[in-house]
This record gives sequence, structure tokens and C-alpha cells, in this order.
Amino acid sequence: MKDILTIILRLTVTCILAAMVMGSAFIITNKAKKHNEHVNEQKVRYALLGYSAAKSIPDSMALHEMYRYIVTDKEGQSIGYLLPGKEGFYFLTLDMGGKVIDNQPVKIDEAAVLEKDLRDKAVQEIAGTGRSVTFADQTIVVTNNGERVAYLLDGKFTGFKTFIGVMLAVDPKFTILGLEILEHEEDPGLGAEIERNYFRNQFKGKTFEQLKDLDVVKEPLPDEYFQALEGNIEAADAAKILAKYGDRDIYALTGATISSRYVNTGVKGIVKKFAYRLNILDTALAERKIEVAF
Amino acid sequence: MANDKSSMQLIARGILSENPIFKLALSMCPAVGISTTVINGLMLGVAVLFVQVFSSVTISLFKNKIHPRIRIPTYTLTIATWVTVIDLALAAYLPDAYAKMGIFVKLIVAFAIITMRLEMFACKESPNDSFWDGLGMGLGFLVGMVVIGFVRELLGSGAVLGYDLLGFKPLLFFILPSAGFFVVGLMMAFFNWIELAYKRAKGKI
Repeated sequence: MKDILTIILRLTVTCILAAMVMGSAFIITNKAKKHNEHVNEQKVRYALLGYSAAKSIPDSMALHEMYRYIVTDKEGQSIGYLLPGKEGFYFLTLDMGGKVIDNQPVKIDEAAVLEKDLRDKAVQEIAGTGRSVTFADQTIVVTNNGERVAYLLDGKFTGFKTFIGVMLAVDPKFTILGLEILEHEEDPGLGAEIERNYFRNQFKGKTFEQLKDLDVVKEPLPDEYFQALEGNIEAADAAKILAKYGDRDIYALTGATISSRYVNTGVKGIVKKFAYRLNILDTALAERKIEVAF
Repeated sequence: MANDKSSMQLIARGILSENPIFKLALSMCPAVGISTTVINGLMLGVAVLFVQVFSSVTISLFKNKIHPRIRIPTYTLTIATWVTVIDLALAAYLPDAYAKMGIFVKLIVAFAIITMRLEMFACKESPNDSFWDGLGMGLGFLVGMVVIGFVRELLGSGAVLGYDLLGFKPLLFFILPSAGFFVVGLMMAFFNWIELAYKRAKGKI
């Protein structure tokens, strides 16, 4: 009996000690970690738009974040958009047919809107008690001197093992500007090759028309195409080679055809759905003459 | 028993005579799953090295306070704590390294080699010896992983450290997890053969 008590006591003390160590480590590092995540996010976004530390983004360019929510009430579901206006934020709800249900200003500032918890809370307040809101995805609209130049799309789809998280950059005609793999758990050496340049860059420059029936082919990747995709040769020569292979399907990764197919299907799905949704949103905005920041 | 051993002997033992992969055959499944390239092997090796050293020293410091019947849960907790702390610290202060090593660090909680070293060595010996023993075992694991990674990367994707050496892929099979066991098995045989040859030459057998 005494033994059991000591065991319980010691295990409890050990757990408390371990929890304290982990907790203090979390508190100390949390701020720096968040900062790093934010910096990394920015880096990925700028890289997709073709900017880097060496070539910084011009001042005339601005990134506007737009959040999509699913609003559920007794009658069914509708879609809500948290949009940045000229001043302040708006929450616009559309029914499934694309008709505007209502448009209300949201009391939230620029810093708070980036925090998921605060943002969700503010949106829920606007929606009221009868309706529940669920965050769906976010899109970044990139403008240059007020003109839309690109969209950055967040997306997640199933891979060979678990989900693959990506970020896509498309231009206003939905031609792909770039693809970045943010998270995945594919097999190292096989499916994990999806994050390599020679695979990702194959999507670059595919137009919306091409995307509609873009397929994955099980053929060996030609060497000159590989070198051009990896960026191993001069930019002018690479551009010529890339143009030559521009209308080809995606070459499957050796030993990871399934991962390649999932990425292809996923990317196609994200772009197609976005094009459809954006069309509805833009129509609604024009109809109601709602002024947004982008 | 180990008090008469120098720090160098403890390190050498971890790398050679008690190498975690080739001699003790521990932590095989994460090792086999990850070691597809030299870099992957190196990253996992470094991560294990740190956790092993920190956990060994911690257990050795508190060895008199640990109740013998709950030592395994205590070891697991210690390892989990260090893994979490290292993971958080890397994410916060070395984001570039974390981007490459992040997934490996989290894997370590389930490593048999670390628990085994705590049970066999750290709970009996002084913190000083435990430090060197942990370092030796970590290095032994690192060396093993790099060697396996080298063979698999060279034969599987025809490259070393990401540089294309052969220009073609000899045997894709070597990238697949099952090939890891073949490589480990062949390496084990190879190292045992060398050891036997060495002993024969010295006339011990």
C-alpha cells in the first residue's frame, strides 16, 4: 500500500515537473515561433509572386486577405465572405445561387483580422446566435496600383498518405504562376519529391483552358526539361525549353504516380472552384456596388 | 564498472563495439523509414544525438529519486519533455534548420535506443559518464544512419548529398522502406566480417 502511494506521488511530481519545463519552454519560445511562422508565410507568398530578398516587392503592390466562411442556419447553408473594404471590414453573405443575403460592417482591425480566433469570434458575432459559421479557406488578392494582378490560394487535398497542403498563385485569367507545397507526409525519396522544383514548376504557366484536361503521364522526364525546371541553365535558354514543353501534361514522379495524380487533381480542383466562386462574388459585388479594397 | 573508462572509450564504444544500428539493432523502424538520403540520415542522427545526451544526463542526475517500479514511464516522460523543448527551441530560434529537421525531431519520442541507454547506463552511472555515453551512442546512430543513407541514395537515386553522381537511377528499390532492412542486414554482415577478420589477424580466435 505504502509502495503504491509513493509511486503515485512520484509519478505526479514527475509529470508536474515535466509539464512545467514544457510549459515554460512554450511560453518563452511562442512569440519567436509565431514571428517565424509569419515571416515564413510572407516569404512563401512573395516567392510565388516572383519576389525574393534580392528583388523586393514594389510599394505599389498590396496584399488583401479575404476569408470564406460557411454559414449554417435552420434553412440550410450559405457562404460568407469577410472582405477588406476601403475602410474597415465587411461580412457579405451569399446564398447558394449567388444572391446577396446581407452585407454588414465588421468591427475588427487590421492586426486582429490575422488572428484566427479573434476573426472567427468577430464573424460569429455578426452572424448572430441563430447561425453558426465555420471557416473554410482564405484567399489573398494581390493588387498593383489598384489593379488585380494575382490571387494566392490556400488549399488542402488528400495525398497518398495524409493531406497535402499547398499554396497556389494564379493570375486574373487563372493561369498558374506558381505552386508551393506547404505540408505533406509522402514517402521520402518517392512521393516527397513533389516538393522539388522539377515537379512543382511543371504547373507553372498552365492556362485555365489547359488545366481543364491536364493529365499525368507515366513517361520519363526529358533531361533538358528537367534542367530547365530545376533552374540549372541560363534563364533565356530555360525559357525556350519551358515554352517547348509548355503544352505537355504533367510528368509523373518515378515510383510515385499516385502522389503525382493527387497533386494534379488537387491543383485543378482548387483553381476551378476558385474561378467559379470568384465569378459569383464579383457579380454580387458589382450588383450591390460594394466597394472593396481590391 | 564504467568509472575506469575514459570519455574517449565511451564514445568509441557507442560508435564501434556497441553501435546502436549495426550491433544492437535498435530503433530499426524509424531508421529504415527515414534513411533514404545522406541528408535525411544526418538530420535524424543529429536530432537523436541531442535528445540522447540531454535525457541521459537528466536521468543520471535524478537517478536516486526515481522509484525502480516506475522507471520506464519516467524515462518516457523525460524523453518527451526534451523532444518538446528541443522542437520548440528549434522552431523559435533556428527556423531554417527547423524547416529541415522538424519532422525528425518529433519522431524521436518512440526511439528504443534512447530508453535502452537510460535503462542500461544512465540510471547507474555518474552524469559525467552518462554524457559521454549519450554522445557516443548518438554519434554511433548518426554514423550508422549516414552510412545507410549513403548506400541507399547512391543505389536508389544515383546521387550523393543531392548531387547527381551516376546520372541514372540504378535500383529504385533501394529507396523503398523494405530495402532499408536489406542494407542494414548487409552492413551488419560486413561489419561483423571486418571484426572477425581483425580478430583472426590478431590471433584471438
